[in-house]
Amino acid sequence: MLDHILSIIIFFPAVAGILGFLVQKDSVRAYGIAVAGIEFALSLWLWFSFDSSVSGMQFMEQLPLVPAFGINYILGVDGISVFIIILASFFTMIGISSLGETKDIKNMIVTLLFLQMTMAGVFAALDAILFYVFWELSLVPMLYIIGAWGGPLRVYASVKFFLYTFTGSLVMLVGMLFMAYFYYQATGVWSFAILEWYRLILPESFQLWLFAAFFLGFAIKVPMFPFHTWLPYAHGQAPTIGSVILAAILLKMGTYAFIRFSLPLFPDASVFYMFPIAVLAIIMIIYTAMVAYAQKDVKQVVAYSSVSHMGVIILGTFALNVEGISGSIFLMIAHGVVSGALFLLVGVIYDRRHTKLMSEFGGLAHVMPRYATIFGLMMMASVGLPLTINFVGEFLSLLGFYQQSHILTLLAGMAIIVGAIYMLAAYKKMFFGEVTNEANRNLPDVNKRELFALIPLAIITVWLGIYPKPLLEPINNSVKSVVQLMHDKAITDEAKSRIPSLVKGIEITKTSTPEAH
Amino acid sequence: MEIGLNHYLVLSTILFSIGLVGVMRRKNLLMLFFATEILLNSVNIAFAAISHYYGDLTGQMFAFFVIAIAASEVAVGLGLLIVWHKRHGNIDLEYMSTMRG
Amino acid sequence: MELYLYLALFSPLVSSLFSALFTATPKKQFTGIVASGLIILAFVSSTILLTHILSGGDVVHVELMTWMATGDLYIPFGFVVDQVSVTMMMVVTLVSSVVHVYSIGYMDHDKGFNRFFSYLSAFVFSMMILVMSDNFAGLFIGWEGVGLCSWLLIGFWYHKESATWAANEAFIMNRIADLGMLIGLFLVYWNTGTLQYEQAFAAMPSLSTDILTWMGIFLFIGAMGKSAQFPLHTWLADAMEGPTPVSALIHAATMVTAGVYLVIRANPLYDLIPNVGLFIASLGAFVAFYAASMALVNRDMKRIIAYSTLSQLGYMFVAAGLGAYWVALFHLMAHAFFKALLFLGAGNVMHAMHDELDPFKMGGLKKPMKATFIMMTLASVALAGIFPFAGFFSKDLILEVSIIEHHYIIYSVLLFTAGLTAFYSFRLVALIFHGEERYKLFGIHPHEAYKFMLVAMSPLLILAIIAGSFKMTYFEMVTALLPATEYHVHSVAMYWIMTIGTQIFVILAIAFAYKKYAMSPVTVPDGTSKMENRLCYKILINQYYIPYIYQEYVVKPYRELSTIFWKEIDMKIVDASVDGIAKIFYSTGENTRTMQSGNLSTMLKWMVAGIVALLSLAVVFGLAVRYSDEIKVILSGLGVQ
Repeated sequence: MLDHILSIIIFFPAVAGILGFLVQKDSVRAYGIAVAGIEFALSLWLWFSFDSSVSGMQFMEQLPLVPAFGINYILGVDGISVFIIILASFFTMIGISSLGETKDIKNMIVTLLFLQMTMAGVFAALDAILFYVFWELSLVPMLYIIGAWGGPLRVYASVKFFLYTFTGSLVMLVGMLFMAYFYYQATGVWSFAILEWYRLILPESFQLWLFAAFFLGFAIKVPMFPFHTWLPYAHGQAPTIGSVILAAILLKMGTYAFIRFSLPLFPDASVFYMFPIAVLAIIMIIYTAMVAYAQKDVKQVVAYSSVSHMGVIILGTFALNVEGISGSIFLMIAHGVVSGALFLLVGVIYDRRHTKLMSEFGGLAHVMPRYATIFGLMMMASVGLPLTINFVGEFLSLLGFYQQSHILTLLAGMAIIVGAIYMLAAYKKMFFGEVTNEANRNLPDVNKRELFALIPLAIITVWLGIYPKPLLEPINNSVKSVVQLMHDKAITDEAKSRIPSLVKGIEITKTSTPEAH
Repeated sequence: MEIGLNHYLVLSTILFSIGLVGVMRRKNLLMLFFATEILLNSVNIAFAAISHYYGDLTGQMFAFFVIAIAASEVAVGLGLLIVWHKRHGNIDLEYMSTMRG
Repeated sequence: MELYLYLALFSPLVSSLFSALFTATPKKQFTGIVASGLIILAFVSSTILLTHILSGGDVVHVELMTWMATGDLYIPFGFVVDQVSVTMMMVVTLVSSVVHVYSIGYMDHDKGFNRFFSYLSAFVFSMMILVMSDNFAGLFIGWEGVGLCSWLLIGFWYHKESATWAANEAFIMNRIADLGMLIGLFLVYWNTGTLQYEQAFAAMPSLSTDILTWMGIFLFIGAMGKSAQFPLHTWLADAMEGPTPVSALIHAATMVTAGVYLVIRANPLYDLIPNVGLFIASLGAFVAFYAASMALVNRDMKRIIAYSTLSQLGYMFVAAGLGAYWVALFHLMAHAFFKALLFLGAGNVMHAMHDELDPFKMGGLKKPMKATFIMMTLASVALAGIFPFAGFFSKDLILEVSIIEHHYIIYSVLLFTAGLTAFYSFRLVALIFHGEERYKLFGIHPHEAYKFMLVAMSPLLILAIIAGSFKMTYFEMVTALLPATEYHVHSVAMYWIMTIGTQIFVILAIAFAYKKYAMSPVTVPDGTSKMENRLCYKILINQYYIPYIYQEYVVKPYRELSTIFWKEIDMKIVDASVDGIAKIFYSTGENTRTMQSGNLSTMLKWMVAGIVALLSLAVVFGLAVRYSDEIKVILSGLGVQ
């Protein structure tokens, strides 16, 4: 069974979702929780049987689909992807169990289970076509969630979300086809297997174009400035569960793809585009943080803060050294936990007051002390306080990028200032002061169901902040091999691409000699 | 003057143009059918002439096919036309716009 | 010894978590007692460690576990008890024990009693991490941790707008400095390859001066935030919104001295870059004077003491900047004792006066509050630096350092500031305790604080009096780690002239303060007196208009810029252009749908047009292919390709 655990993790929720249509309406919630719980247990099993000292792919599965064109069903995980899969199943479980009163709850649960399939598929796929299929499929459940359970502007928001990301991925698909064609030209066989692609060394001009094609798809998904405007609408209109999954997992697909595709496939182009992308990332960090500060709706604050944090992730990714990339992967998980929790928290107050405007609140710390405490913890994590999960990722990302550019890191480091400004301002508006609005006077504090979702997140936030090693070590091993691969591939290229080889000036490089190529 | 291939092709072109103008200008559905028949037959002439010119019977075979299809098309088309006339009292194209976008 | 290290470090954490269990429940007296007991346990452990170090024992060094390890980076949770950190541990645990016990009385009637102890102990824990860590990253954990606790405690009474505002201000200002600190850490890591103090400092002498200078500057920026040095000083005065024990512990004795501690800890670095050291000293001297000048006229008891703290921090930075690290640490220690005492005394007065802060509305309190009166007077004497109190030994030493290092401007600024210090301290004492009983106008019946609070304060009182006598013991201990420069003025006559001159100057300042505020009748200022309309008074009472400038030229523009970014750029440019592209498609469809009129003959016409277009394209391409060679010739003739 362990040989096929990835397939099971991917398709079990989908099959269970189809069967879910047969389940009685009253018991569908229990059914959903049970399925998601089993799924989470499976992913935990994956983690326990995962050998963290191995840097390469594990649990590989291969099945030919269209052998003539080299399209295969290839799955596998390494330290980079395994934790995001676990996080996805974790959030599906938490999301389903925290569902409040929802209309058409059966459809919602089935949709979430399908979404879980696509998310697991994206992060486990090692074939470009398979990856693309899951990547696009993930849009459908989210489109449905926003469009069917969203706010007043839901149709606009969902269509914008779908078309925007879809456009980007089409360009990415063209890039993939070109990549396979180049592979065919070079080797005489078609292949869409990513690991095969890794071995291909492309001339720089091709790299630049292909990088740009992939970049568009990934950047819209992340979303990077200036492609970010679909996100506030999607978050603003989506129901709580939609926002949680969107922020926690779906956004990570973009940054994950940068590490899986762009960096190892196009090392020279990554170096070439490093500074423009870093500038974009810094704009993301500072500009969206300021926009977040201007928001009146607390959910939009969290939404824009997501964009701001994704900027740090991008920056860490393009540090192109082990510290930075490990940090950015860790921050992906950290941001998933923290922003997911923050969206859940916003959902808590929205359920009670049916508004998200901060001006409607004030003094909530008096009436909902437990809520204020958890919110405060998550806010501090979002601000990046040491010993919370976010700090580890942010620190490593910035530390990594510092090697590339001092000034840009200084600017990017503004994240810790501007982040504190909008978060503290929002917290003050919501929780401090006297209770001025009569409607808030008798709000009930968080209930058991909500605590069930929030407490684990709070525990993870602190636990991984103090002891990040269980995650950081496997991530580190896999990242080392990625960086090494980039370094080796870049050496055969032009002198300009020496920059990442400088980056990788540590023990691994000593074992590999340039003339090996 | 020997009547050669060119003459047939010119005739075919002239007929095709007449048919095309008819297709574009006519408002009466029946007249439209006539115009399409002219179009088809202009092509038939070209097929037959070229077939004769090359001594290859394939062209003439195609002409027969076209005639057969045209006949069946007219049979179906006229039937529809009569039904339409019974229901609406006219066969004017201006009034047939249920497929407006 | 490791056991004591763990006890000292973790008993505050246990205390905090224990009290946190009861945050949602009404006041429980025992949380205060348990918390205080655990902090005292930490104090006892620290004392044992101190005696261990004093008796020449080895430095205690433990590594708890790995925190972060990736690439070359390796950061453990490592803790070290050496001569410097044990001094800080003593200061921290002693003052916090006193403050904990004191708070049982002070927070007696507060709804958030349990919550208060949870926060306060959490602060102690963060501070212990800060001083005990054996690497820069651990220092940064504590650094941010105390920032968080400071935020929680300043905003403790979160229903007050001013308190939450001050809390956020403090946090954000500290964050600005923390960025500098973070960059400093990055510099250390990428140049020395480690964040451990020992290895990093060992690698520093081989680095270029440029890099070291930047390192020193960025680390000092971090220190500037925590220690509230100009221009990041405004938060400290506003932080007085918090409960008074908090001001005593955090904003006088411990957290604000973290910056000084950092400079002392990084002494191998700052020794290599005397230019940065000189800058630190100059800034310190400036702040010493600047803050003292604001304290002269202020009418808020706690703010006056806060400015005095700021001023004394300036003194410490002068010493640290000039390379006299042990002097800085000594003044830090002495200052912690008498300043905490002063604040706690102020807390007693506040309680008695029902949270009235304006000393002009008090007067004559020495009768109902005899013990507090004595304590505050003695603390002020110590602060003013009168022989034989603690302040004399530490502050005079700083003056001597500056003259021995030939920085005469700094010396004269500091000397003048010493006079100002004496004046404003005794202005405060005179206004509160002497003169007419002006509080009667406001119908207040003051009472002395609980006995146990006064008892709790007594250790501080004793130390404020006798701390100077430990000078030589302390010197011998701490110079095992810090540069052991002894500062003696060369000629004996010169030494006596300086010392006695300073003493006379200070005493004159005290006498002047008494004459003006205790002997002559004082009225509550109402904005009409001549002095209040003077320009320099206005500048001072408005804190040199710095908070105003920040508000008008930083905070407001930031808010407006944010709104512009959102409404104008994000909505109207970025988003609108995306929507614009979508609209092009929509409107193309909208405009071309008329083609689909449903009219058969129109559609046939379009069909014909399409055929014609395709045919003509085919012809063009066919021709182009046929004549491609000629076309190339023509194009090259035109200069294309």
